[in-house]
Order: sequence, then C-alpha cells, then structure tokens
Amino acid sequence: MQTQSSSSTIEETKIALNPTEALQDWLVAQLSTQLSLDASTIKVSEPLTRYGLDSIDAVTLVGDLEEWLDLELPDTLFWDHPSIAQASAYLVENFEVENAIASLATETKVTAPAITEPSTEKKGWGNLLGRFK
Amino acid sequence: MSHLKPYWVAQALEKDLGDPFDPSSALSFKRIIEIDESEEFPQEEIDWLYNWKLQHYYIPAELGGEFTSFEEFLAFVRVLARRDQTIGIAMTTLFWSFITWIGGSDAQKQALSQRVKNENGTLSLGYSEREHGSDLVGGSLTATKVPGGYLLNGEKWPINRATRSDFIYIIAKSDPQGGAKCLTLFMVDKRELNRDHYYNLPKILTHGIRASDMSGIGFNNCFVPDSMRIQNEGDGLEYALKGFQITRTFCAAFSLGAGDTALRTTLNFALKRTLYNKTVIDLPQPRKTLVDAFLDLLISDCETIPAARGFHIIPEQFSVWASVVKYFVPVQIETMINNVYVVLGSRFYFREEHDYGIFQKVLRDNSVISMFDGSTVVNLHALILQLRPLTKYRSRRTAATMAALSDRLESIFSLEKAVPKLQPEKLDLFGRGVDDPLQGLEIALDRLSGLKEAGEVDGQVIAHLSELSLIILEELDLHDHQISHSKFEFGHDQSPELFEIAKKYCTLHAATCCLHIWLYNRTVLGDFFAQGEWLVLSLHRLLRTLRPLPYTISDRYVESVAQELLKLHKEAKLFSIVPFQLAQSQIPKDKSYANSEFQLHN
Repeated sequence: MQTQSSSSTIEETKIALNPTEALQDWLVAQLSTQLSLDASTIKVSEPLTRYGLDSIDAVTLVGDLEEWLDLELPDTLFWDHPSIAQASAYLVENFEVENAIASLATETKVTAPAITEPSTEKKGWGNLLGRFK
Repeated sequence: MSHLKPYWVAQALEKDLGDPFDPSSALSFKRIIEIDESEEFPQEEIDWLYNWKLQHYYIPAELGGEFTSFEEFLAFVRVLARRDQTIGIAMTTLFWSFITWIGGSDAQKQALSQRVKNENGTLSLGYSEREHGSDLVGGSLTATKVPGGYLLNGEKWPINRATRSDFIYIIAKSDPQGGAKCLTLFMVDKRELNRDHYYNLPKILTHGIRASDMSGIGFNNCFVPDSMRIQNEGDGLEYALKGFQITRTFCAAFSLGAGDTALRTTLNFALKRTLYNKTVIDLPQPRKTLVDAFLDLLISDCETIPAARGFHIIPEQFSVWASVVKYFVPVQIETMINNVYVVLGSRFYFREEHDYGIFQKVLRDNSVISMFDGSTVVNLHALILQLRPLTKYRSRRTAATMAALSDRLESIFSLEKAVPKLQPEKLDLFGRGVDDPLQGLEIALDRLSGLKEAGEVDGQVIAHLSELSLIILEELDLHDHQISHSKFEFGHDQSPELFEIAKKYCTLHAATCCLHIWLYNRTVLGDFFAQGEWLVLSLHRLLRTLRPLPYTISDRYVESVAQELLKLHKEAKLFSIVPFQLAQSQIPKDKSYANSEFQLHN
C-alpha cells in the first residue's frame, strides 16, 4: 500500500464552472487519482470501463460522489450512465447539483481519527461515548 | 425446547431425523458414508426432506410458505449440514429462490412458490463458466433478443444440481459491448424448454461432497420467453450481487454444521481413548485443543446469528456484513477442523472405523464452503473496496448517529426480540460506509463500564473484558488511521497487504459481535453464557492473532469451558450459544478404544 504523498486536489472545487463542468472535472480528477492515469488522457465521452473501472468500482465511485455532493444517488448511476458526460448530464437534470456544489465551501476534509492512547492505568476507557458530539 | 422461537423448527427437524450416530435414523452417518462412497445423488434422502415439507421454509410466508426469519433458516440448515453437507447443500440450493423473492414479478413469485411447494420443485444457479470463474461480466453465454424472448447460447460449468433441477437461474450476456449492464438474469423453467436445444454436461468428480450433482448445462439457440427474465434486460448483475448478499451469509450455516460434527466425533473418541493411563480428554494438550475448537464455534455463532437477524433490520449494510461472514466463518471453521484432527490421530484419515469415518468426509466436504459462492479472495476484495468509506463514516459519527445505532444494535443482538419482516428491496450494492457492529464498539465499552459498576458479573471477568475490548478499540483506530493515510486505487490489482488488512477488519468485527451478543443476552442464555469466561477466552483467542498476548489468560476459565463442552456433548446439545437439544438415541456404545470409562471432570 502506498502512502499519500500530498493532500488530494479533488476537494478544491472549481465553483466558477457550471455544474456540468464541475462534475466532469471532479470525476476526471477522481479517476486519474484512483486509476493512476494522466487526467489529460481521460475523455468524458468514453465509457468508464475503457479506463479499467470495473462494475463494482463504479458503485464505489458513486459513494465518493455522494460524499462530495452530500446527496443520495442511485447505486447503479455509472452502470446506467456509463460515461462521465452521460452521468454528469443525468445528475444535473435529476438532482440539485448546483445547490450541492454551491454549498461545498463549508465541506470539511476527512481527518484521521485520533488514535486511542493505550491506557497504562485501568481507568480512562469509560465514558467513550463522550467522544461524540 | 429452547425458549427462543427461531430454534423450534430446527429442533423439530432434529427430532424427526433422529440421532445420526444411530444407523437406523433418516440421515445416519452410516448411510451418509455409503452415499458418499457410491457418489450417487441422495434422492431418497432429499425426498424425505420434501415429505417433511422443509421446502416450505424457503418460501416467504406472504407467498404461501413458512419462511419468516433468517435466524430460523440458519438453525435448520445447521441441522442438515451437521449430518451431511452434500444433502444440506443439495436441499439448500432452494435458497437461490431469494433472487425471485427479491426481484421477480408477482407471476414469477407465485409460479415458483407453487412449484416448489406442490411439485417438489428444485433449483440451481448457473453463473460460472469454464473460462471465466468469478468474472461474471466476462462471461460468454449469450442471450440474443428475438420476438417474445431470447435465444441462449453457451455453457455454464461447474454448477451444483445443474442436471437435477427444475429451474436454473442463468446469467447471460445480452449486450455484447460489455459493461455493468450487459447481463440479464433468467429464471429458466427447464420444463418449458425445447429438449433439443439444451444439454447437460457430465458429472464432475470432486474431492468432497462427492454425491452432489456437480455438472453443467449448455444451450444451443435455446428459446426462453420474456416471462422468464428477472427484472429488465441489463439488470442481471445487480440482482446477482444482491442475491449473493443473502446466499454468501448463509454459507456459514454449512460450516457451522460441519464444525459441530467434527468436534462431536472427535470428542466421542477423546472420551473413550486411553493413552498413558489417561483418557485423551484428560490430557492437557488435547483438552485445550478441543476447548479452542468449541470457542471457534461460539465465535462463529456470534458473527453469524446477528448477521441472520441483521438482514431484517439493516439490509442496506449487507454488502459489507455478508462479505465479512463469508470470509470469516468458513475460514475459522476450516482451521478449527484442521486443528482438532490431531486429537483423532490416525482415525481422522480413515474412511471407516470410528463413527463410520465421518470425520474425513467432513474434512473433505467442508473445504468447498470457503471457495464457492464467492471465494475468500472475492469476498475480501469486495470488503477492500469499502474500507475507505467505512473509515470515513466511522470518523464522522455524532452523538445522534450513536443514539440511532444503539437502538439498532439492541434489535439486532437481542435474541429475545422478534425481528421485523424482511424487506429485500432495501438491499444495496454499496453500504455507504455503515457497519453497525464495529461502529457500535464504543457503545459496548460503555455498557461494560456500566456492568462493572453494577457488580453483577465477576470482577476479574469484567477486568479482562475491559482490557481486551480496549485492544479492539485501539486496533480499530489504528486500522482507520492506516486506511485514511493510504492511497486508494480501484480495480483488481489491490495490494496483497490490503487483503491482510481486510482480514484484520473481519477479526475485529467478529470480536465486537462476540461482545455485543454477550452484552445484550447475558441474562437469557444460561449460566455458562452469563458468566462470560468463554467470552474472555474468545476475545483473547481472536486478538492474539493481531498482537502478541500471553498464551494463557486463565486456566480456570479454560476448565469451565471444557466442562460446558463435555456437558453439551453428554446431553446431545448443539455446540452453540443457543445449545438446543439434538436428537438422542439409545444406541449401543461403540466398542471402546481401551478400558476407560466415560467420565466428566469435576
């Protein structure tokens, strides 16, 4: 497993773009990172399978997209709309993508959970639910 | 009778089947071995089960059947599998009907229910192909659209019950371009096909489950009407994967049944055999080996029983939980069977002699479970793809998330609570990062803390449990840290290290399930269960695979577990956290392997 060399650029949304372009750019960036491809080689009109994204990966990609947009999307989005262009067009038509992208500014990045300090004393592990706000 | 209703059907079936050690019982080990040696399909025995109306328990109640709960289902499949995995699996190919119960039209559901109930209908599943194995989208069997239906061309192999089934689910490529929507699923009623356009492939000779109808089927321009299609053209993969979430989980039932028999026949030997003036069971090393095997069954129970219940409560999480169960339980029990055979000595290898040679059959049969219906690697891979969302979701839990999770945990893990009706339409291909058992670990720790203050449980036990549970939490936090600092990639070239990380996730999952099931059922499953010594040893056993821990945690706890094991064996009860009564008989004692007496330690 490799260690992430730098923080992801995916979160840096180009809000200036229209929603379709923003979606397409995000998906291209996501694919280039997770398939180790040069972004310039990814064409939005090509089926994602062309780049080695298999059917189950495509479901996982829906999860990433859901998280980015904070919207619930169909599991089979990229099965039914297999290219970046098709999926983006479908999303813009059927979901409040514009609003979702507009509110991304408040999105916080994922941080690693704090590692529990191994307790040398026997106390200190109680009331763990106090972790949750 | 167990006071828990989901175990009544299993107990009734047990009673009617009779003690398998008794050669006159319906599925006796003597007969099972004869069948295995003949390699002939056990039609008479399957007929016995249909006459008993067991097939009704695979059909949902609202469709005229008797199925109401997967917990009940799990228990009766164990009853079959502890006698014979060949028969257990041959009968339980009926669980493929869940594809129709999930995705079929009303007409398809009615037709299948009617045929299975009234005409002893049987099923098989034709997904895999000689050249493509687990790669469904890569399959070559095609469905070409013609007016009113499709023409099928190609072969499916190796398929259990391919020849001896009335229906076969066939996944076929309907779009030669490929992609996730290229597959269409059919519930093919063989009775309706033109006999000249399909053929069966010869029986394959196998290492285990030798009397199975392991064969295949081929189609040659074979017309199937549109009415046999499940859902729409292109929906095949989605429904295949949803069906797998159910069937993969319940493969654990086959393993649990086999594990019970492996341990029981070994105990029969260890209690009779005298070496160095002691019975084998009284020698410390074999005694500990058998205790560990019993713990493996209890641990596997704690993972599987809540999963069966969870289907009714959190179906949307099963892309994760089904993979965990299908990886963890079959592998744990394979290892357990391999661990106990040294106690049997040379008899583990005999196809006769001790208990008709059932052990070697279990050893061979059981090794298929971790391979079929999605192998160990396939399941770990499915889990790997979800590790990142699982970590993210866990890091974002809030007080509100935890409160809702706490309610769900109570419904899933409290065996006295009835489960709601199954809602298969809520199955999802992707779990969105949610995994209640592990994400509820802090709730378990909190409850442990409450128990400590209440003083109801032995202080030493609580101290051990607290310490071990904290290790689970530390390991889970480390796991999340590792996942959130790693680079994720799609595809099938996942690093071997990730497979090991996924295995560790399963171990932590199982440990947490053990903890939950004890916390929610402490006062309802008997004194041995309540005392929690078995739980201390189970957590210790699991966590020792993750970090160095002392070999022994308490000899006294080991002895308590040994006493429980011997008690369940003597009283013919299932080796389980729900140790229901098994069939008993007054069979004459097998010749002893020395002059020893049957004895319990006190």
